[in-house]
Formats: sequence, C-alpha cells, structure tokens
Amino acid sequence: MTAYIIRRLLILPLILLGVTFIIFGMMQLLGSDKLLAAYVNPNVFDKLTDEELEALKDKYGLNDPLIVRYGKWLNGVLHGDLGWSVVGKTYVSEALMQRIPYTAELALYAIFPVIGVGIWLGIVAAVNHDKFIDHAIRIFAVIGWSFPDFVFGLFILMIFYSFLGWLPPGNFSNWVEDAIKSSNFHYITHILSLDALLNGRFDIFWDVIRHLIGPIITISWLWWAYLLRITRSSMLEVLNKEYIRTARAKGLDEKVVINKHAKRNALIPVTTVGGAMVINLFAGTVIVEVIFNRVGLGSFVAQAATQLDYAAIMGGALFYSTILVVGNLIIDILYAAIDPRIRLG
Amino acid sequence: MYVSREPILQVKNLKTYFYTEDGVIKAVDGVSFELYKGETLGIVGESGSGKSVTSLTIMRLLDEKAKIESGEILFKGKDLLKISEEEMRKIRGNDIAMIFQEPMVALNPVYTIGDQIMEAIILHQKVKESEARKIAIDLLRKVGIPEPEKRVDQYPHQLSGGMRQRAMIAMALSCRPQILIADEPTTALDVTIQAQILELMKELQREYGMALIMITHDMGVIAETADRVAVMYAGRVVEYGTVDEIFKNPKHPYTYALLSSIPRLDVEDQELKSIPGTVPDPLNFPSGCRFHPRCEFAREECKNLDPKLFEVSPSHYTACPFYGVLENVGVK
Repeated sequence: MTAYIIRRLLILPLILLGVTFIIFGMMQLLGSDKLLAAYVNPNVFDKLTDEELEALKDKYGLNDPLIVRYGKWLNGVLHGDLGWSVVGKTYVSEALMQRIPYTAELALYAIFPVIGVGIWLGIVAAVNHDKFIDHAIRIFAVIGWSFPDFVFGLFILMIFYSFLGWLPPGNFSNWVEDAIKSSNFHYITHILSLDALLNGRFDIFWDVIRHLIGPIITISWLWWAYLLRITRSSMLEVLNKEYIRTARAKGLDEKVVINKHAKRNALIPVTTVGGAMVINLFAGTVIVEVIFNRVGLGSFVAQAATQLDYAAIMGGALFYSTILVVGNLIIDILYAAIDPRIRLG
Repeated sequence: MYVSREPILQVKNLKTYFYTEDGVIKAVDGVSFELYKGETLGIVGESGSGKSVTSLTIMRLLDEKAKIESGEILFKGKDLLKISEEEMRKIRGNDIAMIFQEPMVALNPVYTIGDQIMEAIILHQKVKESEARKIAIDLLRKVGIPEPEKRVDQYPHQLSGGMRQRAMIAMALSCRPQILIADEPTTALDVTIQAQILELMKELQREYGMALIMITHDMGVIAETADRVAVMYAGRVVEYGTVDEIFKNPKHPYTYALLSSIPRLDVEDQELKSIPGTVPDPLNFPSGCRFHPRCEFAREECKNLDPKLFEVSPSHYTACPFYGVLENVGVK
C-alpha cells in the first residue's frame, strides 16, 4: 500500500506536466495578438502599428516555438512566478492565494452537511425501503434534482436575505474587513473562521459562518439528491446480499447488521461520487460564488476564461489538476481502507 | 447412531406466502415435519419446491414480501412464530444456526474470517474478544482449516471455496447450536470437496450432538447424510419417512420419479428417466395433487385430492392415496 501511494505521488508531477502542456498548447490557438493583450495596456493596444506589435511579440517571446514558451512558463512556475493576471489586477499567484482560503473554507464546512447528510439520507431511505420515509426522501430527491441550483440559490437569497435578513451575501460583513485588517488580528491558518476563533473573536467567527450557510444549503440541495440516490441504490443492493442474511442468521441486532455489515460495503461506490464532489468543492463552485457574491476560485477562473486572461487560466488549471490528482489519490486510499480486496489484491 | 424420539423442532401446517404484484406465491403451503434430537432430516426437492423458504421461515429471516399465513414452529415446545424479534435473535446463531449455499457470497468481503466468527461468540456467549479469538482459532482448526492462527486474520477472498464453506461451518457451530440448518451446503463446491464437507458435517454433528436439517436437491447427499427425509414438491411435503424406506420403497410417484432419474451403480442397464413437464408455476399451482400433470400414474381423482399425508407405516407417510400402483414397478 505504501509503495502504491509513493508511486502515485511520483506520477503526480508527470500528470501536472501533461495537463498544463495540453492547456498551454490550446491557449496558443488564440493567436499571438490575443496573447499579447496580456502584456499590454488595453488603452494603448489598439493604437499600435503592425511593426510595433511584432516588436512587442518578439520582446515577450510570443514568436518563439511552443515548446520554448512552455519551457519559459514552466521555469516561471518553478520559481513561483505564474505571471500577471489581467482580471485579478495582480500576480496570478497572489490572486490564487487570496481566493483559495475562501474556497477551502466553504469546502471544509460543506463537506459534512453535503456529503455526510446526503449519504445518511440515502441509508435511511434504503433501510426503510418502500415505507413512507423512503417515498418522502425520494420525492425530495426528484424535486432537488430537477430544480436548478441557480434558481434555488436565488430563492435562498430572496427569502433569507431580502425578506428575513438572516443570511447575507458576500464572504463577511464590512465591519469584519476592518477588523481583520487591523494589526491585532493575526493570520494563522488563513481560513478566516478558524483564525477568528484562534484570535478569540467569536463575533467574526459567527459572521463568517452566517455568510457560509446560504451557499452550503444551495450546494447541498442539488448534491444531496444525487448522493442519496446513489447511496440508496447501493445500500438496497447490499441489503439483498447473502452475507447480510448470514449476519442476521447469527442473531445480530438489525442496527449492527446495517451499521457494520451493510454500510461499509454500500459505501464503496459512494466513495467515488462523494470524492468527486469534495474535489469540486475545493476547486470552487462558480454558480454559488456568483449568486452569493463571494470571493472564491470558481468565479475568478470563470472570469479569467471569459476574458482570455491566459496566465490566470494556466494558474487555475495548475491548481485544479493538483487538486484532482491529489483528491483521486485520497479516494483510492479510502477505497483500499474500506475494501480489503483492493488493499490485498 | 442413537436417535432420540424426542422432537426438538416441530413444524406444523406451515404456510408462507409471497405477495407479489403478479399474485400470491404459495411457496410453502401446509408443511409439517418433526426434527428429533441428534438426527439428520433431509429436505429434498427441485428448485422452487419451497425447501429454502421453509428453512428461512424457521429462522424468521424472510423478506418483507413474505407472510407467514399460518402454522406453528415449535422449538423445544416454544412457538417461534409467536415470540418477539428480540427473543428470536437470541435463538438465531445460538440455538439454531444456518449455513448457506454459496460460501463465495455468504461471507462479508470486508471483514476477516475471524471477525465474522467472533461476532456471534461475543454476542451470545458474552466472552471477551481475546477469549472469542481463541475459540475462533480452535473452531477453524476443528473444521480442518490449516494454519488457523494465520487464517483467522484473512479475508474471505483469500480463501478457496471449500475453505470458505469450512469457515461458514465454523461460524455456524461457534455457539454449539442444537439445530443446524444447512441449505444446499455443497451445491456450489467441487465434487471432491463436497464429500469432504459432508463428512466433516457428519463428524461435527456426532461430536456436538446437533440435529441437522439438510436441504438439498441432490438425492445422493440425502442418501449419504440423512436419517429421515421429507420430499417436497410445489410447496408441500409429498413423502416423509426414513431414508431406508423411502429409497427402497418410494410411495409417491414424484419420489419414485426422482429416484429413477439418478444413476445408480448397483443396477445394471439402468434406464435414466426424466420427469416429464416442468415445475409448475408457483402463481398458479395445479388443483388437487400438484404433481398430477406430470405424474405417469395420474387418474381423474388426482385433480381434486386433499393435500394430506397417508400412513404407509409408522415411519413412512405419503401424500399419494394410490401409492399401491408403485408396488409392482419398484425403482428401476
């Protein structure tokens, strides 16, 4: 198992190289004029003559062969330089570092309610197969499934912000911004809610949490529906297995049969879907960030893509592929932990 | 072998029906038999005859679609159909244990063999984990698993089919049950392994003094293991008696047909017969004697027969009132 993990970690840089090279190559299809825009003040850009454009392209190496340009980009990455982001109006690395903690914070708080509750609902439905509660959960799933998250998010915002004033949009209130910029607020983890606790500022902690509830409910809404359906069908399948009958024939309590014998087997396929969801959470959720006006990775990279901010796109791609590869490695390790047939081959 | 005349289990007029969207399946429809201490009762029949449902009814392990319509299952005088689920759980695995057909799928793939054996021991015998582990290792040794100290920590997929069935037997015997129900325990195994497992079961039965219900479709297994046999057809017992009498002198055309369909070494130029027709549709059983459409001796009255057993001798019963016709034919 350890050898397997080490092997996977060694492959990680190769995958990152491959992914970034493909994206870098695709970016070149934009043509050198578009790429040049990343280096030149847009106000001056239109007034430049063709000769001046060519000179600038030479200056920034845009006429070099693809492999040379990729090499330069890679060299920059290795030295911590991801380039300048037009959209972020700062260095890409800086822009990412500003946003990653917010995205990570939402992801951390969303994991339990989204994944945990989704799986729990699926198990409850399966255990009460064809009873009232099963039907109720399934109807809920169908509604959740067919209800777009952007509509649902707007509803949440309308009801809990506009109408009740409970759940405001944004990452935090204005007074928090002043508080955290003051010199006596120390950044320790860069996850704001945790830092607030560590600074003993429970008011800031509560404010941050209040801003997280709306996004979490919105993400939960759609993902529960999906996760609970997968969990339910997997659980139903397992409950019909012969080893469940064996467990019952031993005289085990039904709780033990479900919690010990059924759950662990039923969670094997759920791990894939749940893991993919967690990866998505950490990569940023565009729609939720836009609706709730949150600073985060998803909206930043989406904006970068629409404005062809190619340094930011490359930076985002690098981050996403790292999250994806590491996330999948964790899923594989979880698989092995759950299922000895994988662990022991 | 000494067989007590004191029944440890009495099944009386048991009816288990399945309510499906297509209709009611009368999987078990008025089954009665007794099991005596220390004996082996074989229940034999084709698939769909209701033999497995009978055993699951005794254990009360049926799914929600099944309903026990009527009958009694008396275990040491107590009706298992009347006690609470909690009381039933204390009996399952402890007094009555069961082993299943497919050792490949009857063990949980994500827990070790040892863990699965120890579970029942800890539950019923209230011993510590270290003590349970010792018992589990001893059991594995007893069922003939080599290197039990190592095997106890292995997972089902690391064992062969025969070893898994041995582990299943160890699990079933872990609490020294008084009754062991074996549902086709050797069907999924290689023939050479089959004989070993049957031998092992007989040996352990003698040692533990258990009563054994051997459920099978294989007359050969019955001949090898059982003292008495109940032949089931379409949810009913059609013939019931000692193995000797039934094999030498079958008194029901179905048993007669079953015996004629298995090859025998002691009969020269044997003509193997197959039973014409197919197992009847459980949603729509024939009237009267359910075997009459396939019976070579059927007559008009068979269509309206009552499903009851006639005494041939005090240790032999048949559901066929016209069993006299078999006198002259004998098993070929």
